[in-house]
Formats: sequence, structure tokens, C-alpha cells
Amino acid sequence: MPDWQERITRETAPAIRVEHELRYAAAAPLVHASAAWCDLGCGTGLGAAAGLGVPYAGTALLVDLDAVAVEQAHATVAAHAVIPLTADLTSPADLARVRDELTAAAADGRRCVTCFETIEHLTTFVPLVELLVELAEQHDTSVVASVPNDAFWAIENPHHVTTWGEGAVDELRSLLPTGHVVAHQVALQGSALARTGETTEEVASVRIDDGVASHFLLAFGPGAEQLATAPRVVQADLAEQRRWERQRESDLRFMQETRDRLEQEIARVAEFRTYIHELEERLGLPQAGETPAGASDDAP
Amino acid sequence: MRIAFLLHDLQLSGGVGVVVRHARELVERHGHDVTLVLTHEQEQEPWEFDGLAHLHVEGLAQARAQRFDVAIATWWETTYSLFELPADRYAAFIQSLEDRFYPSGVPERSSAALTQGLPIAFVTEARWIRDTLAELHPEAPCLFVRNGIDKQLYASPERLDVRTDGPLRIVVEGNPDVWFKGVSAALRSVANMREARHLTLVTGAPEAIHDATPDAIVGPLSQQEMAQLYAESDVVLKLSRVEGMYGPPLEGFHMGATCVTTPVTGHEEYVEHGWNGLVVDWDDEHGTGRALDLLARDRRLLHFLRTNALETARSWPSWEQAGTFMAAALGAISRAPAPAIGGTRLLMADARAQLEYNRGLAWEHIELRRAARVAGVLRRIPGFGLLLRARRHRIGRALLRPVRPLSKRLLR
Repeated sequence: MPDWQERITRETAPAIRVEHELRYAAAAPLVHASAAWCDLGCGTGLGAAAGLGVPYAGTALLVDLDAVAVEQAHATVAAHAVIPLTADLTSPADLARVRDELTAAAADGRRCVTCFETIEHLTTFVPLVELLVELAEQHDTSVVASVPNDAFWAIENPHHVTTWGEGAVDELRSLLPTGHVVAHQVALQGSALARTGETTEEVASVRIDDGVASHFLLAFGPGAEQLATAPRVVQADLAEQRRWERQRESDLRFMQETRDRLEQEIARVAEFRTYIHELEERLGLPQAGETPAGASDDAP
Repeated sequence: MRIAFLLHDLQLSGGVGVVVRHARELVERHGHDVTLVLTHEQEQEPWEFDGLAHLHVEGLAQARAQRFDVAIATWWETTYSLFELPADRYAAFIQSLEDRFYPSGVPERSSAALTQGLPIAFVTEARWIRDTLAELHPEAPCLFVRNGIDKQLYASPERLDVRTDGPLRIVVEGNPDVWFKGVSAALRSVANMREARHLTLVTGAPEAIHDATPDAIVGPLSQQEMAQLYAESDVVLKLSRVEGMYGPPLEGFHMGATCVTTPVTGHEEYVEHGWNGLVVDWDDEHGTGRALDLLARDRRLLHFLRTNALETARSWPSWEQAGTFMAAALGAISRAPAPAIGGTRLLMADARAQLEYNRGLAWEHIELRRAARVAGVLRRIPGFGLLLRARRHRIGRALLRPVRPLSKRLLR
């Protein structure tokens, strides 16, 4: 079953969290080298906090459509200064506010914008892409953005307004400044041995090639080449994962059963109503559940 | 933005349909003011494309009196009129490398290729065109915007029906008279099949069929009717020789049909051999017949291909998404520095005059070859030399007077 968790929370499956954290870790060298950093579609800020590693020394502009998420991000992301901003990234006026805040936050210094798993949620991404290109070309801003590879699995995510894959990424790339960097985020699988009663920190080597992407990362602007590619691996909490999956399966089965019973009940009531109407017809009475002609709807 | 798309005509064709749909999206979803500029006198009533009512449709004379932010040629002949429109930026929407539509030696071939050398921005719908343009003109800005699919019209089924028996239902569409559409080859390939099949040909030119007889000939069909036909079909057979980013197999995919296709340019955008369709070799009508036989026999394979075709369709962008990319592309073109077009307008006028002159020469060449053929036949007739010599003398001409109308026609 697909998981339509679009907001990263503490309950999000580890595999999805680590994917999200990796994107921030990839952008971390660019973020830390900037005087101001803007996270578009920041969500709760958990991914950023984990991915950036150390507290951010500049001004962080945390932007999301959801005011509650922005507040959570404000509390989660450690930065020298934080500017929370609720904004609709399809609105040119809101994007102008973002531009003004970001350029003011680092009047002379370099800037960075991260925009992960956000573009696919927008009804139109034209104003956002225009802003990102403008920032990169005219305001000394490095931009790192990501989109999912929905097309590979033909996933119809109800939260995604647009479908992304290699073709759509190629279309997007034709709009970006020359010299932009593209990275495929690829899935890793693995296993490890743990001695009972011991906690260790292990380093593993993994050969990574240009395989099928789960997500595409695009970096452009002055610092694009600094995009980090180191993988990020966490131990899977199988007990928690099992609990989470079983709960979903159990809930799903429960809801299906409830729905089936509801449908049976609706059918039974319809049958009963037909019977009552037949009786009423035979007795010459008005049909129950129907307003007699001429009567007011709000009559007592 | 004020945008002008230059069209040769508004007749039913895939290419015109794509332009009209982009124009409609730019108006309805992105708030642009779009004009379709018809560059030629129209002999027929325009095809009733959906959404045409929301667009301005004007002739060249009317459009010349306005100013546009971006003017876009959509067919090589429309580039001759492109620079006549006052516009801040000029572009061409390239749906194919159109010189390939013409055999070598035809004047239109080199004229069509001229489009690719213009100092303007390009928007194209297929990666092979983008890559070719990048090789030919690395300096030319080229934006990539795929064609969308109308997801309401080509509404994919929730679940694919399993078809275990019955004849293989094949659909072929196109004009048999257009050489690069490969319609006749497709009909002959189906005729080579051994297994049970039902072939439907969709065409507006049924009189052009000579090679084989389809089980049903329909058309021209509306998009709704095409969607219904694809839904009833197992396979879209497409043996084109030239395509940009061809729509019919993709439309078929949306309705649960797989495809058998040549490796024509554009197929690589979405067709994967053995995954969602079968790619057959060029000029291999027997092999194509065998591939169709395989699908007719192996219903497990047919269902696998149809399943993946449907999945491919699900990941293809809607027109709404495609329109968004077009809006972004035109925005990028309008913001980019204006290229120096210098004397391009004059150059295009010269090129047009040269084309007309070359067309005249080509026509004369055809006429002369025909006359030479006739003369060659006549010379082999006994006594013809004597007849020619007799015409040079007064007495001979007097003798030939009764048969003058005939001799005049033969010897002109």
C-alpha cells in the first residue's frame, strides 16, 4: 500500500525520514556557506534540523503554506535568527515577499534556497521557478530543489498536482540556468550485525551508480557544484515499522468491514423504505420522508 | 503576456491540435492573451477544435497591426510570416524536423530546414529534436515541453480487463496517401497475419487504400470517438517513418491498448520494447505480422504489455501540466535577452521568393521530363521521323493539315 505521508513528522517511517534528511545533508555545504537560507515548503523542520547537522549560523527564512507547520519548524530548526513566513508559493505577491525577506536578510552575503518535495504540490510552478532562476542569476543565490520520480512507479499521489519523472525533469532543466547540477537520489538496501548488548558506530562502503532515482535533486546558482552526495543510512526500527504497518493493515481491514456493514445497512433501510412506501400507498397515506406538496420545508 | 501562434491553417491534424491546446491552457490557466494567426488564405472552414472559442483567430493583416510579447512559428512555412509580426521575442515551436517530410531534391526540403538556422528561441516537444537542435546549433536556446494528454477525454480505466480470447483487435490510423505515415505498410503487415484479428482503419481518405482491406474503415473521428475505439482495441499499430512525438500510441496506452511500432523518432519518449509495446524493424512487414500473431496467441504477454502501457499513461503529464511548462518556457523566452535578428526578415523574404522560384523550376522539370518521356515513345513509332521532317516543308504542312490538331498535340 502506498503511504501518502506528505508531512515529515516524528512518526514518519524511518526510510522516508532518512530520504528527506539526505536532501538537506546534500544542501548543507551550500546552506552553511550562506548568510541567509530560505527553506521553501519547510514543513515541520525535522528534516532540515537532522540534515544540516549543526546549528545554522545565519538567518533562516522558513516558508510554508501551513502556519502551524511554520511554527513547528521555527521551534525545531536551530539558527542564529529565524524568520517564519506563511506563504502560498503559487502567488506572485507571496513570492515577492519571500524575495524581499531573503535579499534583506543577507544584504551583501551569499544566499541559499532549498525547496524539497514542494514543486509537485503546486497548481502552478511557473512563478516559483521564475523566482528561483532570478535569485540564482541575479542575487548570488544557490538553489537546491527536488522532485519525486512518481513516473517510474506510475504512482498517482493524490497530494501531487503534477507528475514528475525523467521527462518532466528534462522539461524543468530546460528552464534552468546552464551549469546546473542534477543528482539522482537512489534507494539503498542493506543489513548489519549487532552484537547483543552493544551499540556501535559502523562505517560501510557502498558503490553508487546512476540508477533509477527515487527523487531528482537539482542545484543551480553559484554554489551548485558543492552539492554533497554522501549517502545517509540509519538502522531500520523493524519493531516500530511492523507496528506501524500492522496498524495500517488492521485499520484498513476494520474500515473495509465498517464500510461493508454500512452498505448493507443502507441497502436494508432502502428495502424497508420501499416496503413502507408500498404500505402507505395501499393505505392512501403520503409517503414518509417526502415533503407533501405545498408544505414548507421548515414547517414543524 | 500577449502571445501569437502562427498557423498555416486550422484543419484537423495532430500538430494543429497541440498548438490549439497549448493556446487554450495559456489563456485559461495562466491568464495570457493568445492569438492564433493564420498565415494563409483558408479554403476550408476551420476544424472545430475544443476551446477555439476562447482564442482570437486572426489573419496576418489584422495581426500585423498589433504588438506581441512573443510570436511563435509552428510550421516551417509560417516562419516566412514570423518577422512580419511586431513582437519583442520570436520563437519556433518545433514538432518535428519538418524537412524530413519531403524527399530529397524537392525545394520544400531545404526551405523547411532553414527554420532550424533562424536566430530565435526554440520550443520542442521531443528530446530527440532538442538533442538534434543542440548539435546543429549549440548556441540556440531550446526549451523542452512535452505534449500533454487530455486525461478527461482519454480517461484510463481503474482496472484493466483481461482479454483471453477473440480476434486481436488492431487499430491503424492515418492517411494512406502520406508516405511517412506507413499506413499501407501497416495494412499489408496485418494481411500477413495468420491468427484471427479485426483491423479498424481510421482515415479521412479511404479511397487511398489499395493494398489490403481492413475489417472496418471509419473516420475522421472526434477525439471522443477515438478514445472509445482505443478502449475497444488491443493494439495500436503504427509504422510511421517520421514522427515528432506521436500521440496515437500514447492515447491508446491511456485506454488500455498496447502498441506495435517502428523505432520511429519520438517512440523513445514512452515506448519500451517488451515492457509496454513491441518495436518492430523497418520494412519488415512479415516480421510485423509475426509480432501481431504473437500478441494474438500469447494473451498473457498481451495483458502484460497492456498493463504497463496503462501504467506508462498514468505517469504521462496532463495538458494542464504541459501548459504550465509551456507558460514557463514562454516566460523564459520573454525574459531572456533579445537575440539580434538583424536582416532576418529580409532574408526570409528572399528565401520565400527563392522557394517560389525553385517550385517553378521543379514544376518545369516535371513537365519537361513528362514531355521527354512522350517524345521517347513517339520516336519509336515507325514513320515519326518522316512526319517531323515533313513539317519543315510547305507541302508537307499542307498535307498534314487534316491531322493538324493531333500532330500539334503530340509535337508541342
